[in-house]
Amino acid sequence: MAETTLVRPATAPTPPKGLMTRLNMWTGLAVGVLFAVIAYAIVKVIWGPDPQGSDQEVITAEVAWVVGFLIGVGAFVGPWRWLLGGDLTEEEAAFLSGKDAGIARYFRFTTDHKVVGVQYLVMAMTTFGVGGILALMIRTDLITPGSKLFGPQTYNSLVGVHGIVMIVSTIIMVVGPWGNFVMPIMIGARDMAFPRLNALSFWLLFPAVPVILSIGVLGGIPTGWVAYAPLSDQAPPGMDAFAVAIILFVMSSAVAAVNVIVTAVTMRARGMTWSRTPVFVLGVVAGSLLGLIALPCFQVGMLFTLLDRSMFASFFVPAQGGSQWLYANLFWLMGHPEVYVILIPGVGAVLEMAPVFSRKPLFGSRLVLVGFVGIVSLSLIVWAHHMFVSGWSPTLNGPFMLTTELISIPTGLIFLALIGTIWRGNIWLRLPMLFIYGFIWNFMIGGVTGIYLSDVPADNELHGALFVTAHFHYTLLGGAMIGAMGALVYWFPKMTGRMLDERLGTIAFWTVMIGFNVTFLAMFDSGLRGMPRRVATYQPEFATSNLITTLGSYVIAVGMLLFLYAIVRSWRVGATAGPNPWHGKTLEWFVPSPPPLENFEVLPVVTGDPYGYGEPDTRHTSMAAASLASDDHLYLPMEEDLP
Amino acid sequence: MIQPDEALPVEPTAPTLGQRLRSPAGRLATRIAGVFLVITAALVVFSFWWPDATLPRMASTTEAAVRNTVLIFSLAAAPVMGLVWGIAYFSLRHWRFGGDLPPEDGPPIRTNNKVVISWLLVSSGLTAFLLIWGLAELTATTAAASTQTPLVVNVTGQQWLWSFSYPQDGGVSSHQLILPLGRPVLFEVTSTDVIHSFWLPEMGIKIDANPAVTTEVGTTPTLLGTFNVRCAELCGLNHAYMATTATVMTSSRFDSWIQSHGGVVGQNATSGGSNG
Repeated sequence: MAETTLVRPATAPTPPKGLMTRLNMWTGLAVGVLFAVIAYAIVKVIWGPDPQGSDQEVITAEVAWVVGFLIGVGAFVGPWRWLLGGDLTEEEAAFLSGKDAGIARYFRFTTDHKVVGVQYLVMAMTTFGVGGILALMIRTDLITPGSKLFGPQTYNSLVGVHGIVMIVSTIIMVVGPWGNFVMPIMIGARDMAFPRLNALSFWLLFPAVPVILSIGVLGGIPTGWVAYAPLSDQAPPGMDAFAVAIILFVMSSAVAAVNVIVTAVTMRARGMTWSRTPVFVLGVVAGSLLGLIALPCFQVGMLFTLLDRSMFASFFVPAQGGSQWLYANLFWLMGHPEVYVILIPGVGAVLEMAPVFSRKPLFGSRLVLVGFVGIVSLSLIVWAHHMFVSGWSPTLNGPFMLTTELISIPTGLIFLALIGTIWRGNIWLRLPMLFIYGFIWNFMIGGVTGIYLSDVPADNELHGALFVTAHFHYTLLGGAMIGAMGALVYWFPKMTGRMLDERLGTIAFWTVMIGFNVTFLAMFDSGLRGMPRRVATYQPEFATSNLITTLGSYVIAVGMLLFLYAIVRSWRVGATAGPNPWHGKTLEWFVPSPPPLENFEVLPVVTGDPYGYGEPDTRHTSMAAASLASDDHLYLPMEEDLP
Repeated sequence: MIQPDEALPVEPTAPTLGQRLRSPAGRLATRIAGVFLVITAALVVFSFWWPDATLPRMASTTEAAVRNTVLIFSLAAAPVMGLVWGIAYFSLRHWRFGGDLPPEDGPPIRTNNKVVISWLLVSSGLTAFLLIWGLAELTATTAAASTQTPLVVNVTGQQWLWSFSYPQDGGVSSHQLILPLGRPVLFEVTSTDVIHSFWLPEMGIKIDANPAVTTEVGTTPTLLGTFNVRCAELCGLNHAYMATTATVMTSSRFDSWIQSHGGVVGQNATSGGSNG
């Protein structure tokens, strides 16, 4: 049986000394740059002048940067010690967990899941900022039919980098911050199953960001983020940077996904059966599992692309016997499940919040599980609906239309659970609930517009047009990201100990919602009128809708800046939250805000599901609330309650 | 959400149901049904207005299929959106507590088998309908393209130019697409470099132009005039400029166009033809 009580050493531990205490982000950057320069020079000398371009040098330098960064940041301290026959001492492990390190722990290889969660949150907000600025550049270039702020080469690169930066941001935006920060506390654990892998997942992602941005100085990418072959084969070295970044990102997400799944499966509190597990945990697990299966297809595609480009392999080059359709299939084998990798954790967060603010049990919690399983399973066999007009196997268009349209049944179950929870609830209209209503509005539009695209004859018209772009922005931004913003407001008090400024946040919510709907409703219009995606210029007939879209995008930007201001301001001077500002029932609300290192003095025991609103007899846990003052769930602790 | 100027359909209150409808649950149901009907009615009006207002001019049989599908799917979605948005709106309007924690919890409804089963039945039924509609349209458009002897047009995409040739008419070639009215046409599409996508927005057809393979798509032009040809797959630097026109003319004018460009109507191009 696992130890349930935390044993602390009686004597004050001596802080560890030596090299490992001096490694941090800055040493990582220094070693990484050093490695990159040396690798570049070596390959340059060995390979000599290359008429085909500088792909070999670029790839080697980028990979060396990553390896150097990981060494410099201290990612290999543990394995290195183990290889030499030793292991980390208890003090060193405590040091790695960021014990008593203050703000410095956020800038080094720290294993505490809450530190990793904060790191992911800041990373996601930063990359959203970058992707958002790129979006504004794209929209500004398209403000009138004649405007040419950038040439077509820059424009195409902006589109591609905006795409990949936003895809990465949305994939990490829920599982990164909240899967790490909240999920372990929610299941009553002291940390993730593999704390060092957790830190590794973040520090694998971190060096990918400069690699993505280096696309800008390496000639850009002409392909968009889909990186279709054989266009990717004739692209400048920016394509190599793109491929290296993807390979790295998929490694990072695989490490994170394994960790999340193992943690949720093995480390739930005693008594927390699956039906008593909070729905957010299920969403995070389902999303991670799907990502673990799907994302490596993209990694393989990018690895082969690199070999095509640098070593003249010919996986995807038709002139040498390769197949562009092989690439497209690999890409979409990742690409369609990937939208659900983004969506499901966000949906999990929305369903977690809905009972709290409706003061009602989650409606049909088993249906939600069926819905998640249905979506995860079906989403693996719908990928070729992205290839209805590719010419690849028209015979398969019918079957893929079938699987695609079937997904609306499990998705409908999720809607039923959400609407059923709100039904006759006592709606507590705080800011997170406002985001849930925003989610319902936007995701309904995103979902319904998807059915036009699932239909082959309609897709013949709408594929590759801005209609598609508007559709997936409605699902991924209007749905998943609005849900994630709600989750940020909801768990912000737990992370920082302070409430998010509700007035500022409400203004930001309405600004983003109005800007978002103006932008993308107008974009549907452009698409229906026949405007293709990813074009640097367009005919005058699309002028009005494009002007509206561009102006709407500025409104979104204002709303997002307000939201950021609300976060930064509240983080510094917000009202003190207390352990349970929303009167929630899941375990994270039973520990102080912010939670201490290792979360629980005594591990909790779970006795029911966390949605017993209006049911005096259902109690999620016997654990005492952190605030001894007023909570009516104050009840005897621990072991005695065990069945 | 609510369109106040839409005609508000009144919930029929049959006298025999009067007792039930006047009970608290009955009044709740009536009011929610009202909200549902208003939103659904607004969306139905929108569904009829929307395809004609936005989709390109209808210039072919396939574009007609696109337009019907958009209309039918919008109508099918209207009650679903009306229900979900209606309940969301109603909850905001009638079940909401302002800034304070509601004094007590809501009713502990865990699930409701009748609701769940009806929801599953309705959503499965709608899905089956969408699927059957889609397959029927797909079969119809495919059959229309293959039953008659069509005019074959070879389409070649290259960075960043479209070329068309007419192998059945002496291999005439052109950078503008010329089509005769009312005759089925089959496009044989390929590319010399990267993937392009051959798109005729007004005719509702699109097929990728792939290097090393030929793909097919067919339609029948039904409207005289000049229409757009666009590339719908990002193909590098000047993708946005890879566009030309498609002109649909009467059969006799088409024949004289062929002859004026050195072709012979009905004569298959040989290897020596001026195939561009």
